[in-house]
Amino acid sequence: MANLRPIKFRILELCNEDGGKWNYEIVTQIQKEYDQKGNFQRDSINFDIIELASNGLLKDIEVKVDEKGIYKKGFLLHKYSITPVGQARAVNACLLNI
Amino acid sequence: MDLQVLKTLEHKRRVKIGFMWAFLCAILWGLWYIPGTAVWVLNPFDAMYGEIAATNGDGVSLIVTAVLITAFNALTVILALIVWNGVLGKFGEMKRTIKEFHPCSKWFFLAAVFGGPMAILGSFMAMGFVGGAFAAVAALMYPVVGSILASKWYGEKITKRAYTGIAFIIAGGFTIFGGGVLTELGSGNISWMGYLGGLMAAAGWGIEGAIAGKGLDISEPDVSLTIRFIAENIIWWIIIIPLLAIFGFPMFKYALLAFEPLTLLTLIFAGITFGFCYVAWYKSFPLIGVGRGQGIGNLYGLFAVIFIFLFFGDVPSWTILVGGALCLAGSSIMFLEDTGELESLRGD
Repeated sequence: MANLRPIKFRILELCNEDGGKWNYEIVTQIQKEYDQKGNFQRDSINFDIIELASNGLLKDIEVKVDEKGIYKKGFLLHKYSITPVGQARAVNACLLNI
Repeated sequence: MDLQVLKTLEHKRRVKIGFMWAFLCAILWGLWYIPGTAVWVLNPFDAMYGEIAATNGDGVSLIVTAVLITAFNALTVILALIVWNGVLGKFGEMKRTIKEFHPCSKWFFLAAVFGGPMAILGSFMAMGFVGGAFAAVAALMYPVVGSILASKWYGEKITKRAYTGIAFIIAGGFTIFGGGVLTELGSGNISWMGYLGGLMAAAGWGIEGAIAGKGLDISEPDVSLTIRFIAENIIWWIIIIPLLAIFGFPMFKYALLAFEPLTLLTLIFAGITFGFCYVAWYKSFPLIGVGRGQGIGNLYGLFAVIFIFLFFGDVPSWTILVGGALCLAGSSIMFLEDTGELESLRGD
């Protein structure tokens, strides 16, 4: 895909959608859009999400235990939405559709 | 298991990973002072120092030689980082991030200015003028600059406990730093340029950390670090070294002479330790914050003193031992912090 911007920019955009997004949804979508295959890339994208949350740009609004193994069985699944700090930073980074 | 319990566990795990990165940074950073100190007595830098000193004096010669050493350090670091990014498959992300000048790469270029010509050059000056152990401990004060800038500028939270830890580390730094100055005062021969270098290192790295934290929040640490070192290489090899050559210093002559096996090996050792200490440093920031990342990273001062003792046999004075113990205490205070306080690293 042409004109891709850095992965964290795209994650912020995805989490700006109504109701937020689950981490496994974000990871799957980014892997598809950026043509990133494999478990290492998957975990790397998930780590990007974690970093954004640690920095206060995203916050988790819902948590559930991954009982079916959608992402990693027995671990937590997080649903994230963008925070006001994240929105301000996204505007500053010229993410037009935020 | 209760959801809240799982959540707390997961959060603790993340903070632990952040601290582990910071700790790895400290070990590698401490190791860096071995090649950093050794390279001064190797050719061509030894010969270069002699030639410039004969015409321009010792002071100018040490700084100009430090510039060439720092430039080579940047070069070997970027080689190590390019391999690292290649292995991780991050060249695509790097291209995307470089293009984002306004939100991202601008900050990394600015970080390179403070990290390179200020902090790293200052460190090499301190190593050349005073010695490796001094250079290492002189920079111990950088978290103070980093934490205060990060909290004033973009509201990063610093807990009371973190402040206490930082205070201990500073007290340790002062003990080590002061011990060296007092000894030199006694002999009446103080290497002021070395002490200036030490201050440059402390201020430069503190400012770099705070600036980098600004661009890092929306980019990949491995990628942003590489961009920061590409910028530093541009500063040295395209701006400063040609400029010094125009002023008549034999920069290119000695740069070409650096391809001796032992010198190259030492420079590569410097590149690998320094490159990966930065990787670890940058990775810790988003997880535990600039202030705490720097605080734990500060254990490098202690490691450097130990490594220098093991490799060069320099027996540390009691001030260095007391100072080192204070640094260790300070970092433990920060490390053992109740992570519940770190739920989000920034105020809303």
